[in-house]
Amino acid sequence: MKSYVARRLARAVLLLFAVSVLCFLLTRLAPGSFFDEIRLNPQISPHTIAALQARYGLDQPLPLRYGRWARSVVRGDFGFSIAYNTPVAQLMWAPAEHTLLLGGVAMLLCWLISVPLAVWSAAYERSWFDRGVSALTSFIISIPEIVLALGLLAFAVRSHALPVGGMTSIGFDELTGWGKAMDIARHMLAPVVILVLVATPVIVRHLRASVAEVLHAPFVEAARGCGIGGARLLFRHVLPAAANPAISLFGLSLAALLSGSLLVEVVTGWPGLGPLILDATLARDLDVVVAAAMLGAAMMIVGNFAADLLLLAADPRIRTGSPDAG
Amino acid sequence: MRGRGSILLPAVLLVLWHLAFVFAGFLAPYDPAEQQRELPYIAPSHLQFRGPEGFHLRPYACGASSVDVGPAPCYPVHFLIHGWTYSFAGLQWNVHLFGVPSWGRIAILGTDAYGRDVWSRLLFGGRISLASGLLATLVSLVLAMLIGTISGFYGKWTDEFLMGGAELFLVVPWLYFLLVLRAMLPLHLTAAATFLLVVGVIGSLGWARPMRLVRGVVLSARERNYVLAARGFGASDTYLLRRHIAPMTAGVLLTQAALLVPQFVAAEAALSFFGLGVSEPVPSWGNMLAVLQQYSVLVSYWWMLAPAIALVITSVMYGWLAEALQRSLKSSSI
Amino acid sequence: MFRTARLCLLVQLLAIFCLAAPSPDPLQPKEEVQVCKDAGQYGGRLVVGLRAEPKTLNPVTAEDAVSREVIGGLMADLVHINRSTQQSEPALAKSWKVSADGLTYTLKLRRGIRFSDGQPFDADDVIFSWAVYTDQKIDSPQRDLLILDGKPIQVTKIDPYMVRFTLTRPYAAAERLFDSLAILPRHILDRPYREGRFLQQWALNTPASQIVGLGPFRLKQYLPGQRVVLERNPYYWKADASKRRLPYLDELVFVFAGNEDARLMQFEAGETDVVNRLSAQNYSLLARQSGGLQLDDLGPSTEYNFLLFNLNELSSSHVPEIERKQAWFRDLRFRQAVSAAIDRESIVRLAYGGRGTPLWGNVSPGNKLWVDASLPHPQRSLDSAQQLLKSAGFSWNPTGNLLDPSGRAVEFSIIVASSNSQRMEMATIIQDDLSKLGMQVNVVPLEFRALLQRVFQNYNYEATILGLGGGDADPNAEMNVWVSNGSTHLWHQGEAHPATAWEAEVDRLMNQQMLTLNYKRRKRLYDQVQQIIAANLPMVFLATPDVLVAAKPAVGNFHPAVLEPTTLWNVDQLYLRRGAEMARSR
Repeated sequence: MKSYVARRLARAVLLLFAVSVLCFLLTRLAPGSFFDEIRLNPQISPHTIAALQARYGLDQPLPLRYGRWARSVVRGDFGFSIAYNTPVAQLMWAPAEHTLLLGGVAMLLCWLISVPLAVWSAAYERSWFDRGVSALTSFIISIPEIVLALGLLAFAVRSHALPVGGMTSIGFDELTGWGKAMDIARHMLAPVVILVLVATPVIVRHLRASVAEVLHAPFVEAARGCGIGGARLLFRHVLPAAANPAISLFGLSLAALLSGSLLVEVVTGWPGLGPLILDATLARDLDVVVAAAMLGAAMMIVGNFAADLLLLAADPRIRTGSPDAG
Repeated sequence: MRGRGSILLPAVLLVLWHLAFVFAGFLAPYDPAEQQRELPYIAPSHLQFRGPEGFHLRPYACGASSVDVGPAPCYPVHFLIHGWTYSFAGLQWNVHLFGVPSWGRIAILGTDAYGRDVWSRLLFGGRISLASGLLATLVSLVLAMLIGTISGFYGKWTDEFLMGGAELFLVVPWLYFLLVLRAMLPLHLTAAATFLLVVGVIGSLGWARPMRLVRGVVLSARERNYVLAARGFGASDTYLLRRHIAPMTAGVLLTQAALLVPQFVAAEAALSFFGLGVSEPVPSWGNMLAVLQQYSVLVSYWWMLAPAIALVITSVMYGWLAEALQRSLKSSSI
Repeated sequence: MFRTARLCLLVQLLAIFCLAAPSPDPLQPKEEVQVCKDAGQYGGRLVVGLRAEPKTLNPVTAEDAVSREVIGGLMADLVHINRSTQQSEPALAKSWKVSADGLTYTLKLRRGIRFSDGQPFDADDVIFSWAVYTDQKIDSPQRDLLILDGKPIQVTKIDPYMVRFTLTRPYAAAERLFDSLAILPRHILDRPYREGRFLQQWALNTPASQIVGLGPFRLKQYLPGQRVVLERNPYYWKADASKRRLPYLDELVFVFAGNEDARLMQFEAGETDVVNRLSAQNYSLLARQSGGLQLDDLGPSTEYNFLLFNLNELSSSHVPEIERKQAWFRDLRFRQAVSAAIDRESIVRLAYGGRGTPLWGNVSPGNKLWVDASLPHPQRSLDSAQQLLKSAGFSWNPTGNLLDPSGRAVEFSIIVASSNSQRMEMATIIQDDLSKLGMQVNVVPLEFRALLQRVFQNYNYEATILGLGGGDADPNAEMNVWVSNGSTHLWHQGEAHPATAWEAEVDRLMNQQMLTLNYKRRKRLYDQVQQIIAANLPMVFLATPDVLVAAKPAVGNFHPAVLEPTTLWNVDQLYLRRGAEMARSR
C-alpha cells in the first residue's frame, strides 16, 4: 500500500509539473498573442502595443516567463491575467465554486438516474422497457452537444418557463434565503438538464452492457438457485461485479467536474469557469489558461485516484491479485 | 444460431445505409457545390400527384421558388433523368435516380444559406463524415485497447507512466495544440490530406477516455481464475493478452464504438473552426451542423437539422449492431 | 408555479425599488447644467445585454469595446460627439474657442458641477486626467490620440474653470479628440497615481464607493460572470427642459450573455430591454414577433468589409509560393477583374439578409458627412472581368481553368476568421464567383488571432477578408490605414517610402486634410482620396451591414444612432414608460 501511495504521489507531482511546462510551450508556440486584436485599431500605435507587451513580459524568453509564473504560484497568485489586470487566483475562486455547484448537482442526478435505469434495463433484457431505453440512449448520444444545448434553451425561451442565462435574477439580494435557493435552482435547471442528458446515456449503456454480461454468469445462477432474487440480487450481487466500467466512468466524470461543463456554461450563461476559460483561451490570456489546465489536472488526479480506490473496493480480484496492484 | 440471426438485421441495414452514400452521385439531383442564390433557405418541396391537368401518375414537386405570393410552382419529377456529371468508379456518369427538368427545381430537404440542395449535400457529406468518423473511432479504439491493455496488465510503473500520459492528453488545452498544428501546415490542404488530418487528429485526441475503461477491465481480467491457471501452465504474457485478456475488453470497446462514432462526426465541425476540417464548398455533416449553432437558423429552418437526423439514424444503427455483437459474443463465450 | 413565484418576486422588487436608487439631488443655484430637449419620466431599471464581460472599469487602460460601454455610463468627457448628428457638442466644457492658427483650444468648464460622490469638479481634475492619459509609463491606448508629430498635446490651467490646450500643429476637428476621454477624479486617484499604483485602480472588484465619475450613473454592484448594476448619479450635470435633473432611470443593469445568440434569447424572453447590433437573421426573427417591439434598421454602418491581397514585401525566408502569386495580385487589372466578378448584391442578400449595402469605396454611405457620393458603382460583369484578364496576359485552358502569362493555373487561398459567419459566407460566395472566371479559390477558415498573426506579423497568407471602420466617422481616425507608413496599412505594411505613385498621392492628401480646418476643403481632399483608392483597389471593397437594434416598447426616448454606442449614447435621457414593470413580468 505504501509504495502504491508513493507511486501515486510521484505521478501527481510529475503530472502537474508536466502540465504546466507543456501548457507554457503550447501557448507560446500557438499563433497570435493577447494584443493582436488592438492592432486592428488604426488609432493605436505599434509603440504602445510594444510597451504593453513589455509590461506584461510577453516579449521575454520562455524560461524567464516560466520562472516568473512559478514564483507567482508559490506566492499563491497563480499568475496574472492581462485581460482583468488581477492575479489569476482571485479571478477563479467564484467561478470555480459556481462550476462545482453545477457539476456536482448534475453528476449526482446523473448517477441517481443512470444506475437504476441501467440495472433494470439489463434485468428485463429484450423487453420493451429495455429496447426503449436502448433506443432513447442511442438517440440522445447522437445529437451533438451544442445542438442539444441550444435546442433546450430555445425551448426555454419560447415557453417563457425558465430564465435564460445567469445564476441569479436581478433582484436576488432582496430575496429570502428560501427565495434565493429557489432562484438559483430555476437558473440551474436548464444547464443541469443538458449536462444530465449528455452524460447519462453513456453511463447507462456501459452499465447495462456490463450488468447484462454478469447476469449470465454462473455465480448469479447459483445465487438465484439459493433463492436470492429481485433487487437484492441485482444490487448486492450483480452490480459490484458489473461495476468496473461504471467506476472508470465515475472517475472520469469526477475528473471532468470542472471542465466538462464548459460548453453548457457558455451557451446557458452560467457564471462558471467555462466562459472565463473560453474567453481567456481565445484571447490568449495565458496565465488563466495555464491555471485552468492545472485545476483540470488536479481534478483528474483526484478523480482517477477515487476511481482506482473504488475499483479496488468493488472488485476483490484486483485486491487479492498482487499486494500493490493498480 | 440465435446469436447470428440477431446480428444479420442490423448489419444488413447498415450496409444498405452505407450503400446510399456510396451511390451519392446517382441519388443526388444536384451538385452539392452548386449555388442557387435566388433560393436561400427554401423549405423542402412537397410532393403531390397532381399536375396542371389534374391527377397524374407522375409526382410533382412544389415549392422551390423565390416567389412568395401566389400558388407554389410545381415541377414534374422524372426518374432516371440525365443531369449534372459526377464520377463513380473512375467513370463519368450523368444519370440520376430522380430529378426535375432544368427550368424547375426540386428541394427534397430544402436549401441552405446559398441555395445549395441539402439532400445532395447530405449524401456527399455522409461519405466524408461516415468514413472519417469510423476511421477515427477505429484509430482511437485501437490505441485505447493497446495502451489500456498494456497499462492494466503490467501494472506498477508501466501503468503509472501510461496513465500519466493519458491524463496529460486529457488535461492539456487541445485548442492550442490544434492552433499550433494548423500554423505548421501549409495554407491549403488537399482533400486527401484534410481527410487524413481529421482522422488523425480526432483519433489521436480521443483515445484517453476509452483507454481508462479498457484498463479498468484488464485490471480485473488479469486476476480471473482461468487466467491465473493459464499462467500457472506456463503461458507467456503475449498469449494471455491475446487469448484471454483482449477478448474481455470487447464489451467495453463495442459500447464505446457506438458512442464515439457520432461524437467524432460532430467533432469535425469543431475542427473546421481552426481550419483543420473539411472546407468550403465540400460538404460534410460536421460543417453542415456548424450552421445550427446560430439560434436563428435552429429555430427558423428545421430542415437544416437533416445531418443531425442522419447522425441519429447512423448512431442508432451502430448501437443496435454493437448490442447484437455483444450478445453474440456473450452467448458464444459461455 | 413559476408564475406565482415571479409575481411574488415582482412585488418584492417593487417594494424595494422605492428605497434602492438615490433620487436626484435638487438643482443648485450656481450649478451650470446642460439642458436637454427630450422629456421623460423618472423611475425604472433598464436591463441591457452585453456580449461579454467587461474586463476593467479603468477608463485609461480599458481597450475592449465591452468595458468601454460600461465605462461610458460612469464617466463624462469635455467635448462629446453627438452620435446622432455625428457632430461635436459641448459637454463638461460649456464652450470653447479656437485660435486663428488652430493651435490653441481654450475651453470654459461648467461651474458648480460635482462628482458622483459630491466632491466638486474643476480644472485641476482636467489637468490631472491629462497627465495620466499622456503618461508614458501608463501606456494608455488613448495616449496615441493625443500625440501629434511625436509630441503630446499640452494643457495649462488658466483659472479654476478654464483650461487651454496647445497643439504643435493644426489638426482638423481637434475637439473630436476629447470625446471619450473620461475626466478622472483627482481627489480619488491622485494618491495612487503618485505612488505608481494607478494601473491597479478600478479593477472589477473595486468597492463601489471608490469608483467616482461625472457620468449619469455610478457603480452599485458587480457580480462576477453575471452582471454589473449601475445606479443613478444624484449629482449628474444635465437636466431636462423642465429643470429636472437627469438621468430618468434609477438603475442601469448590464447583463453578460455568452454570445450574440444568448443576447438575443434573453431579449426574446423579456429579460433585457435593449439589444444592440443584431445580425440580420436575428432581426428578422424579432420582426416576426408581435408585441410592439421598437425595431430600427438605421441604415448602413460605417464599417467596411473588403478582400485584401497580400502585397507585402516578402523576404526570401517566406514561402516562395506566395511571392510567385503576388505577381498576379500586384497587377491592377487582376484586382479589377476580381472586383468586377464579385456578386455584391448576393453578398448583401445572403450574408446580410438584404440588410446591408454594397461598397465600392472605403467610406460607407452610413458616413453621411464624408462619403463621396459620386464614386462609380460598376455593375457585376463577368465579360469585363474576362476582358481585363485577357489584357493582362491571362488565358484559359480547354477545361476552363485560368492560366497566368507563364502558363500556371491561377489558384489562391482566402483566409477568413471562422468566428465571423458573415465573412465566411462572403468568402464562399466569392469562391463561387471567381470559379466562373476559372480561378481556383480555397476558403481557409482560421481562428481569429491566428489570422491576425498572419496578416500583421509573418505575412504568410495570400488573400483575406477583413473589416475595418466602425469607429469615429472623421477621416483622421483612418489615417493609419491609408498613409503608407501607417500601422494598419494592411496590404503593404512597413513601407518606409510609398511603394507606388498613387500611394504617395494618398499620403499627401491625407496629411493635408489633417491640417485643413475647413470642412468643405477637407471634404474635397478626402473625396480625392476615395477616388484614388477606388481606382487602384488596394482592397476590393465588398459590403457594409446595416445597424440593427431593438428595444421593448416601454423604452422611451429611444433614438438609436449609427455610431457606437448605438443604443446607449443617450442613456441619460432614456426612460421607462409607466406600466413597464408589469409588462416585463411576462
